[in-house]
Amino acid sequence: MLLAIDTSAGTSVAVVDRDAGILAEHSEADTRRHAEVIGDLIQAALRDSGVAVTDLSGVAVGMGPGPFTGLRVGIAAARAFAFGAGKPVVPVVSHDAIAFGATEPLLVVTDARRREVYWSTYSGTDGVGLPVRVAGPGLVQPAALAEVVPGFAGYRRLDAATVSAASIGLVAELLYLHNRPFAGDQALYLRSPDVTPSAGPKRVS
Amino acid sequence: MAVLLRLATLADLDAIMALETATFGTDAWSTRLMRGELRGEHGHYLVAVDEDAPGELAGYAGLLAPRGSGDGDIQTIAVAPSARRRGLGRMLVLALLDAARDRGATQVFLEVRADNPNARALYDSLGFEEIAVRPNYYQPDGVDAQVMRLSLGERASAPLVLGIETSCDETGIGIVRGTTLLANVISSSMEEHARYGGVVPEVAARAHLEALTPALTAALAEAGVTLDELDAIAVTAGPGLSGALMVGVGAAKALAIALDKPIYAVNHLVGHVGADVLRDDGTQIELPTIALLVSGGHTSVLLVRDLVSDVELLGETIDDAAGEAFDKVARLLGLPYPGGPHIDRVAVGGDPKAIRFPRGLSLPKDLEKHRYDFSFSGLKTAVARWVEQRRDAGDDVPIADVAASFREAVVDILLTKAIAACRDHDIPRLLLGGGVVANARVRELAAERTAAAGIELRVPPLSLCTDNGAMIAALGAQLVMAGKSPSDLHFGADSTLPATIIQV
Repeated sequence: MLLAIDTSAGTSVAVVDRDAGILAEHSEADTRRHAEVIGDLIQAALRDSGVAVTDLSGVAVGMGPGPFTGLRVGIAAARAFAFGAGKPVVPVVSHDAIAFGATEPLLVVTDARRREVYWSTYSGTDGVGLPVRVAGPGLVQPAALAEVVPGFAGYRRLDAATVSAASIGLVAELLYLHNRPFAGDQALYLRSPDVTPSAGPKRVS
Repeated sequence: MAVLLRLATLADLDAIMALETATFGTDAWSTRLMRGELRGEHGHYLVAVDEDAPGELAGYAGLLAPRGSGDGDIQTIAVAPSARRRGLGRMLVLALLDAARDRGATQVFLEVRADNPNARALYDSLGFEEIAVRPNYYQPDGVDAQVMRLSLGERASAPLVLGIETSCDETGIGIVRGTTLLANVISSSMEEHARYGGVVPEVAARAHLEALTPALTAALAEAGVTLDELDAIAVTAGPGLSGALMVGVGAAKALAIALDKPIYAVNHLVGHVGADVLRDDGTQIELPTIALLVSGGHTSVLLVRDLVSDVELLGETIDDAAGEAFDKVARLLGLPYPGGPHIDRVAVGGDPKAIRFPRGLSLPKDLEKHRYDFSFSGLKTAVARWVEQRRDAGDDVPIADVAASFREAVVDILLTKAIAACRDHDIPRLLLGGGVVANARVRELAAERTAAAGIELRVPPLSLCTDNGAMIAALGAQLVMAGKSPSDLHFGADSTLPATIIQV
């Protein structure tokens, strides 16, 4: 059983089991209240699932891509929860959760703010039920998607405003079960901090 | 959900029985038995009430401890399903242990169902030890009772609190027991900011995310304690950089839930004052006191009457923080970031009176509205203008004199206003806090001026002046010891949290 957290869009928390499926899921779609709601959602998911912290085998977390500030809240919470519970963290690419279950070729697009979007392409689902990512995640201006995404015309486009933590958890269970590599342990910001080194002091007179 | 504990009365009987029956089913006490317990003079029964839903009980617990017997028995404890995983069970047991001490008990006993590992884990973490098993004690289920005992002398009574601080560029994890410092681990991203000449919020926030777990591990090792032993988690809720604060807030909430410990969301500025309780010289902070907090992000004068309930903001900067002014002037003089230590270094041998730079908000008309407020933006511009004029004229810039005169202008106005606050409020005590206290001239002039004015000066150890988690843990421990309720779990990060709000 896994606790699963994703804050790459809104805030979503779930408890899932490989055999029993989704035991509880609680989400808040607001993309500016991650820090406020994360505690209540974790608590609600644990309570409704009836699963004790000691019975979890790990904490799955969506690593993005997603806007920085919110994305970090979920990763920080997942790492701290896992640290407190003495369980491993299972990182998952958040777009994989959106594509989870889709059988046709899919272009997943999510909001990256500042007039840009995050994208990933999937060819379908493999033999064990995991989404097969072909390219991405990447960052691009919406107008340039057709130009940047390889094979753009062959995909059905799915613009997602939410990411389900339950799907994050179920993807993690399958990765775990079939010895597949997890996502990397770095947050998928896909953007450098918006800052340039100082050119030197400006004149005041 | 703010939960308060109070003594149970007979008026609570129906609500207690509702929870008792729902919790224990076939094993529940009868109403008659419970009424007798509530009336009895040897018992101490508490109820936990949610302020938002005063009609229902969040929990209750009872102790039997006849005075003079030396023993106490925890008779019963129940927490409503909707109030679980908030550390309420722990709060109730700790309150009963306090009551047992008050009644002269030296040991406390309890029985726990062998099939209730969560309750057992709570008692283990509080130091209870299993001394016997009563087979088939709970009927009709036939479940064994584990008898546990806590010797009240054995466990240090002061709360063990872990503090998390991420309001600026230091990831701080501290652990304290009451007013004793056990660990103070600081991971700074300062070097990553150096090339930008100041703290970049996004760079700081990214660094917090990576530093958090390693710092937690290091702090626990340094303190020699385990997570189970903690009594509470404290975290900075503000003021500070929003994205940076959120990393700590998200982590602290999740850690508190995973460990089933209460969480205290506290004010960073009051934390700087709270750092003083961790001094190991045996002296204690005397209140009320004026506090001058000066850092890269803050420049504030506080009147602290009570660390956990009464802090007043007298004044603060209306533009740049003092530490920012140091950074900007250092850049102007071609010195590296952070500016404070480099200005200090080159000011040696300079004449602080060589150039009379302006003291912000010190004219009579400014003082009317901004008696204890600061402004450093004009000072920074005045220094820039002076340097430009020299360079334009083809003259050398006397760096040592500029640095010394600038520093003197900052330190002079800081102390003039802080000491005015002491005098106006008739409080002969001044406490310094914040990273700029590391500046040698600040401490030197503070010592001089306070001595001349007959004011007692307190400066916490420098490692506790810069941002750190120990001061947050210390303030959390003060709140626990004062019997304050834990914070609601839905607090957010508040970048402009006023100093008057000590706990969110």
